[in-house]
Amino acid sequence: MSGIPFDENSSDFPIRCFSCGAVIAHFYEKYKDLIKKGRTPKQALDELGIKRYCCRRMFLTHKSIIKELIRFHGAVG
Amino acid sequence: MIEVIEENERYIKFLLKNSFPAFANSWRRAMKSLVPTMVIDYVDFYVNNSFFYDEVIAHRLALIPIKTDLNRYNFQEKCSCKGVGCPSCQVIFRLNVEGPKVVYSGDLVSEDPEVHFVYKDVPVLELFKGQQLMIEAVARLGIGKEHAKFQPVSVCFYKIVPKITVLENCNLCGACVNECSKKILRIDKKLEVLNILDCSLCKECVKVCENKAIKVEETNDFLFTIESTGALPVRTIMKKALEVLIEKAKEMNKILEEVHQTS
Ligand SMILES: [Zn+2]
Ligand SMILES: [Zn+2]
Repeated sequence: MSGIPFDENSSDFPIRCFSCGAVIAHFYEKYKDLIKKGRTPKQALDELGIKRYCCRRMFLTHKSIIKELIRFHGAVG
Repeated sequence: MIEVIEENERYIKFLLKNSFPAFANSWRRAMKSLVPTMVIDYVDFYVNNSFFYDEVIAHRLALIPIKTDLNRYNFQEKCSCKGVGCPSCQVIFRLNVEGPKVVYSGDLVSEDPEVHFVYKDVPVLELFKGQQLMIEAVARLGIGKEHAKFQPVSVCFYKIVPKITVLENCNLCGACVNECSKKILRIDKKLEVLNILDCSLCKECVKVCENKAIKVEETNDFLFTIESTGALPVRTIMKKALEVLIEKAKEMNKILEEVHQTS
């Protein structure tokens, strides 16, 4: 489980899966809760009913960039 | 003829029997790109000092599906308002929140209580202390051909159902059983096919068979899998796509008749 980002900010988690277009954003906070309860990512994703591997990798590889965005806040937008 | 294998409101798996690829594919394409749904298309920002750019927020809002009633709203270009925007062709969602707070899709207040987001717990963005977001988002009808956000389906595909025949000269060597990645073959006194719908038509069993005793052929049956985003029930998507196809066929007929008369 080490190295898998699971406590990322959920507010910039992609709303749809990049490949298939299924809506997945509403699962991310539930996924984080399950991981905190001690489930492995596989168990958590199976429990949430995310079947396709395109959608599953969205959860496994999410990295929030909101902290990086903050540095540019006010400078360009 | 249709034989449903698995079904709920958002998902269906069915066999389309005795059809042909041209129809199966045009139906699939119609479901993907010609069935209208309602989606946020225009956003007015009054205040936004969050860490997200206006465009990012508008983009995220547009990806959240909205429960659509096809009889209730018109296309803007076909509406009596001539595309200006009126209550019978668009719905306005309003939002005015201050941080610290995570803004969910359910926080947006719709003008029409019957039209709302399918998922109320989609995190749109997080507002931190002292940040405010005041927006007016306009939803309208559109089709997937115009923009992918209007697609009523996420996954929509078919595959041809194969037919596996084992010939007389099979010597039960078992090479095909080991080679099959979907594990649909079994030897039980003779070579048996377990679940033909799992077959991916890879034809590895044909390649590995030394006696050429196994044959994989395509049939006229199609296995469809459709998953709705929630904007419309999956049955409505299927029906509406067929209606669109009938309209198109009628139009084509008319063109052909005109060509026939003038020539
Ligand atoms: Zn996916
Ligand atoms: Zn109008």
